[in-house]
Amino acid sequence: MAATRTQKEIRQRAPIWLVMLLFANFVVMAVDANERFEQEQKFKGITQAVISPIQNATSWISSAGGGFINQIINFRSSARENAALKERLAQTELELRNIQEAKTENYRLQGLLALHSEPGPEKVFARVIARDASVWFNTIMINRGSSSGIALNMPVITPGGIVGRIVAVSPVTAQVMLITDEKAAAGAIVGQLGRSDALGSVRGLGNSGLVEMRYVSGLQKVEVGDYILTTGQDGIYPAGLNVGEVIEVKNGTATQPHQIYIRPSARLDQLTEVAVLLYQPPQRPAPEQTLPNVDKTKPPSDR
Amino acid sequence: MPQFKIAAVLALAIILQLTLGEAWPRLSHIDFPLIVVVFVALQRDAWTALIVGTIAGLAIDAPSGGLIGAGGFSKTLTAYLVYLGATRINLENALIRIPVLAAATLVDGTVYFFWQRSLGHPPSAPFVQTISYNLIGTTVIGTFVLYMLGSVFSPKGTQSRQFASRRRGARRSTSFSKRR
Repeated sequence: MAATRTQKEIRQRAPIWLVMLLFANFVVMAVDANERFEQEQKFKGITQAVISPIQNATSWISSAGGGFINQIINFRSSARENAALKERLAQTELELRNIQEAKTENYRLQGLLALHSEPGPEKVFARVIARDASVWFNTIMINRGSSSGIALNMPVITPGGIVGRIVAVSPVTAQVMLITDEKAAAGAIVGQLGRSDALGSVRGLGNSGLVEMRYVSGLQKVEVGDYILTTGQDGIYPAGLNVGEVIEVKNGTATQPHQIYIRPSARLDQLTEVAVLLYQPPQRPAPEQTLPNVDKTKPPSDR
Repeated sequence: MPQFKIAAVLALAIILQLTLGEAWPRLSHIDFPLIVVVFVALQRDAWTALIVGTIAGLAIDAPSGGLIGAGGFSKTLTAYLVYLGATRINLENALIRIPVLAAATLVDGTVYFFWQRSLGHPPSAPFVQTISYNLIGTTVIGTFVLYMLGSVFSPKGTQSRQFASRRRGARRSTSFSKRR
């Protein structure tokens, strides 16, 4: 019963408390508004002084919490920015690589253009479309064939020097045996033709990428860095083509020839474009088959 | 209802209001002290509700740029109106508390704006936009907060927590005896 009365009392007194509290709030408001009007702000100053320790504490908490939240947000934005920058970097690297490739190709094509304007046999320019997939042969495939006038044993060159010779032809492609193949060979001379007597023949050394020059007399002077040119005596390569540069010499004697190792000047591991020389070697007269004391004026039936 | 719990919750709400708003200004649209005021008023304790309303309003007014007392006035009035509603209508259902919370936000915001403007210090923020954001923020978050407060303050919740602590104690003693 007492509790009911208390509740009733509370209910009855609630409006009075409300009015009192509202009035108190209103007085505070009015004082504050008046002070602001008079630009004194004493009351506001007091309340702010009272609340400032709490504000400092909350400010510290919020700055710590806010810093943490901002760090998380920054991490997310940094991750996004990082991904975007990585993408841009990849694009830039790709563009740079394309530019470098274009530059290299430009140099190569300039070389081929210079080769085209050089006097000599007619040239067919071709692009390397494949390399020998096996490790057993040093051959490449080019995108020109018999329809372009290419035939067997025609020499293949680059502006740097000789590459090899044609060993198989189809109407639209041809196979080139590189000069480094163990079965490849060419007549060569150390230094310029006509100014040197160091004649010999070069032969491939397989996968080492080098060629060896043989049969050069041990009496001839050969040094590292000398250039090797073709002689044109092999019936395949015309005279005066660059073969490569001497990188090692094992000196011979009067009875033993030099052993000369050459690095081909055509960059065989980076071949992309080549030129096929439509070169027909001069016909050699057929060797004499008959005996020297036979009368050649008589027909064979009368002999 | 233990008074110290209300004081603690009110203090926490004021700290949250001062802290979150500073860390992320958009969170200041959630009026945590008002949510506590509404919760206390829904308990049909007029005196506590009015006092909580006044303290909550004044505590937020003091560091704010507005007139001191405007928030106290609006929250006290809101607390009384919610109390009045709770004594006449059954507002125990959680779903019904959502419109109560929304109405409380509207009343509080409108009264606050009215006094600020009447006494020559109109707030710089646009009324409709600000009160709309307050309505959304306080109603959405307030619904969950009211539910949580209800479970914290309800006798059932207290009882279940007591049982839970007893169960934990019993489990510990059982496992201890098993180890032996």
